[in-house]
Amino acid sequence: MTLWLPLLFPLAGALLVLACKSPRAATRVAFGAGIAEVLLLGACAVRLYASGVLEQGRYLRADGLTLFFLLNLTLIFTAVLVYSAGYLRHVPEGRFSSPRWFYALLFLFLFTMLAAYLSANLGVLWIAIEATTLASTLLVGFYNTKGAVEAGWKYLIVCTVGIAFALFGTIALYLAAVRGGVPAGNALDWTALMAAAPGMSAARDLLKLSFVFVAVGYGTKIGFVPMHSWLPDAHAEAPAPISAMLSAALLNCALYAVLRLEAITSHAIGSSFSHTLLAFGCLSLLTAVFLMIVQRDLKRLLAYSSIEHMGIVAIGVGIGGPLGLFGALLHTFNHSLAKTLLFFTTGKVRDTFSTLRIDRIRGMGRVLPYTSAILIVGGIALAGLPPFGLFVSELAILTSAFSGCHYLLAALMLVALTIGFGALFYQFQRMLSGESHMPRSGKKILATEAGAIGACGLCLLILGLYIPPVFTSMLHNAMAVLQ
Amino acid sequence: MTRALDVLQFLVLVGTAPLLSGIIGQVKARIQNRRGASVLRPYAELWKLFRKEDLIPPTASPLFRLCPVILWAATLAAAAFVPVLDTSSLLGNRGDIILLVYLLALGRFFLVQGAMDGGSSFGGMGASREAMVSTLTEAPLLLGLIAVAIVSHGTSVASIVQWTADRRLFELSSAHAFACVALVMVTIAETGRVPIDNPSTHLELTMIHEAMVLEYSGPSLALIEWASAIKLNLMLALLVALFAPWGIATSVSLPALVIAACAFLLKMTLLAVALAALESSVAKLRMYLVPEYLGMACALSVLAVVFTAFKR
Amino acid sequence: MGLVEFAAAKTLASSAVFLFITVLLIAAAKRTATCIALFAVQCAVITAQIVAMAFLHRSAEAFAVAAMVLLVKVIAIPYALLRILRRLKVSPAVTASTTPGQSVFIVAALMLLAFAVVQPYARAFALDSEMLAAATAIVLTGGFLMVSRKRALMQVIGLLVLENGIFLAALTTTFGMPFVIEMGIFFDLLVCVLLMGVFVFRIRETFEHVDVSRLRRLRG
Repeated sequence: MTLWLPLLFPLAGALLVLACKSPRAATRVAFGAGIAEVLLLGACAVRLYASGVLEQGRYLRADGLTLFFLLNLTLIFTAVLVYSAGYLRHVPEGRFSSPRWFYALLFLFLFTMLAAYLSANLGVLWIAIEATTLASTLLVGFYNTKGAVEAGWKYLIVCTVGIAFALFGTIALYLAAVRGGVPAGNALDWTALMAAAPGMSAARDLLKLSFVFVAVGYGTKIGFVPMHSWLPDAHAEAPAPISAMLSAALLNCALYAVLRLEAITSHAIGSSFSHTLLAFGCLSLLTAVFLMIVQRDLKRLLAYSSIEHMGIVAIGVGIGGPLGLFGALLHTFNHSLAKTLLFFTTGKVRDTFSTLRIDRIRGMGRVLPYTSAILIVGGIALAGLPPFGLFVSELAILTSAFSGCHYLLAALMLVALTIGFGALFYQFQRMLSGESHMPRSGKKILATEAGAIGACGLCLLILGLYIPPVFTSMLHNAMAVLQ
Repeated sequence: MTRALDVLQFLVLVGTAPLLSGIIGQVKARIQNRRGASVLRPYAELWKLFRKEDLIPPTASPLFRLCPVILWAATLAAAAFVPVLDTSSLLGNRGDIILLVYLLALGRFFLVQGAMDGGSSFGGMGASREAMVSTLTEAPLLLGLIAVAIVSHGTSVASIVQWTADRRLFELSSAHAFACVALVMVTIAETGRVPIDNPSTHLELTMIHEAMVLEYSGPSLALIEWASAIKLNLMLALLVALFAPWGIATSVSLPALVIAACAFLLKMTLLAVALAALESSVAKLRMYLVPEYLGMACALSVLAVVFTAFKR
Repeated sequence: MGLVEFAAAKTLASSAVFLFITVLLIAAAKRTATCIALFAVQCAVITAQIVAMAFLHRSAEAFAVAAMVLLVKVIAIPYALLRILRRLKVSPAVTASTTPGQSVFIVAALMLLAFAVVQPYARAFALDSEMLAAATAIVLTGGFLMVSRKRALMQVIGLLVLENGIFLAALTTTFGMPFVIEMGIFFDLLVCVLLMGVFVFRIRETFEHVDVSRLRRLRG
């Protein structure tokens, strides 16, 4: 019951929201259902932390890794829920574009991501990740403008093709398992595969093929270059809370899938084959930082920054070892918080300036002082400067690179991070400085916005200064699952 | 005994060629809701033409009268290769499929020469178009036949037919399927049927084969018309023999021969009806699309050849 | 049962040919409705294959999977696509960046590539190389269709053909995966097609055309 309830509750929530007649009622019901869901997830997390592993039926399972990502998802979802309550007052009405549909689709989206995290079976994992694409497409195209429709179409097509390749990789893994002696009914079960992994080393070629396809397939959803073409469009055209969900929660979900499969592959043929992830990581990192310099839209800039950070995480996982993995996992957490923070500020910016084009925004420092302060704080966090959490995780990954004698890799990372930092501040400075004819904005920051942003910022700060032992032990549990 | 049988097969092919054209014309007429000319009409045509005078353009050389004869002779020789009732044919052991293809090419070459020799502009136009089509059909035709030959381990038509007749339908491979489709497409192009060339058109600018024979009359025209009918007959019979030879007589006995004759008639009628239906339902391709059509046939025949390597 | 088993074995042996032919025909097709019909034919061939396998291995699960494929991929999805096509009211032609002749050439080359690529794996795992090559060829053709066809609906068809190829690869190598997983995959595919239908209409409403090669506002 512990796992089924938080999994299925969002479905009930979606139906409840759809049954509401007025937008206000929908918002209230959604808020209530969302808070209930967060409490359920919290209870589940506590239970999971206490008992280590929870299993339910053939297809649901939660262990240390699940706990870590589940905690991340809960935090992000809470922030998004709180923020949306105030944001949705400016939504244009359209066929699927009302607050009812927004919350209903948001709950569906949450359900699919929870299904991915709680799946014990690689097949169910695949179905859930494909379902996340389907659930979030209508959210990406929410505004129904030309840009939104194009972004939604590209997202749907590119991600479905990518996930189809991931299916091929999963099938190849299934074949290798069946040939390696695992009974056919269990051959997609993650625990069974982990146990049988050393015995599968005879099918080296097949396992390598399967991992490459999985990295390409799920990597499309993570946003690895060169499969990233959907990411800037989708994250830019979606509403701000959905951009936050996509950048913070969805990328982590796809990464979770890659981590599970990478664990099986490295148990079978040794971690020397994580070069695939290293290659994707470096390529993503370098491409993203160079493209960040020439961006003209604020949300696209943040989207490319997501690609950059996912590249860093991939490098961390690729290097492996305790420090690399620690850094990678911590980085996913920190990055999600920082990205959520920054996407939330874009809502305010678009509200005031009615555009997100960087060359048309001037003098934001004077017009929106508080928002600018938050933007600067977010920029510092995202660039990897202390005292925020991303500094710690990036330092961990760099240290693991140096200690593993990957000097070239570390040098590349440092150069790329510097360029990224430069690009981010160049773009932000263009917006913040300068003269603007607009008066100082009289609109107040809503309590919801402030609450959401404040919570994210606080978590980031805490993680940068002092990681609580509870958190560290959770991280270690997660790493233990993978090794 | 086999000799007599082979001569009989040869005479059947040559003699029933106009009948085949007649059947196709009749079926097309019925599809178009007309009564149409009788199926024996082409015979009457030939008879009429043989009794008429041969008019020669003043600018023509002696080659002009020679070309129809060479065309007819080459087509006859090619017809002597195709097995109809049993697996051997009149000239079957003197050459193989490559000789067959190039006998047809020889005939076509001389037809083109004759057309250009006639001195009219339509003749030249038809000749150039025919040259383009024949250049493009040579590759798929040869490759398709070679693919079938590779699979059946021999290049003589008789050995291919024998090999295929020994197998059942389901044991034919993808190479056969592709070769069949390619050869069907090439047959339509070689024999000048819709969608490559409309044999019953009267618009000169759309003609390929008809434009070449505009200057011919009398017995020369009769020979050309008969040769093109024989060509259609022999190509269809070749398709039947290569890809659906079941029913063919493996021993020289009366019951086997009767069965073979009935099977042959049935298959040829089916093919004639199919061809007539195709001609009535598809529009003729524009000239610049003909290379694309033949390119597709070429791709299929290349696939057929490559697939013979994979099925081993 | 001898006749049935004979028929099943022969179906399995010759289905690769039919799949190759449908692949070539889709490349050469000039109308979108023809492509949808050919996709349905392809799925019907795959259904026949699954039924043949079910007879040969005496597996009731495989019959259920065959019924699902028939229902979802042969009937439901093509019907949905044809309805979308009719309601879109665009010209029936397939606007593509390659002519039918060029497409057939490219697809033939892709088929040869598929054969070449599959050989080492088929040898190593004692699989039927022709079926595996057919699956790979279908995947590559699906990709080619998505890239070369300009209309949104043709991209959807290309995607469906690609997924068909992957499903066929799963079928050839492993006789299918556990039933629940297969059900989930089919359900996903159905929802995907419906969603794409919704989006095609949205594209038409906002852009006044369905030519995805002209969706180039978001770049860089």
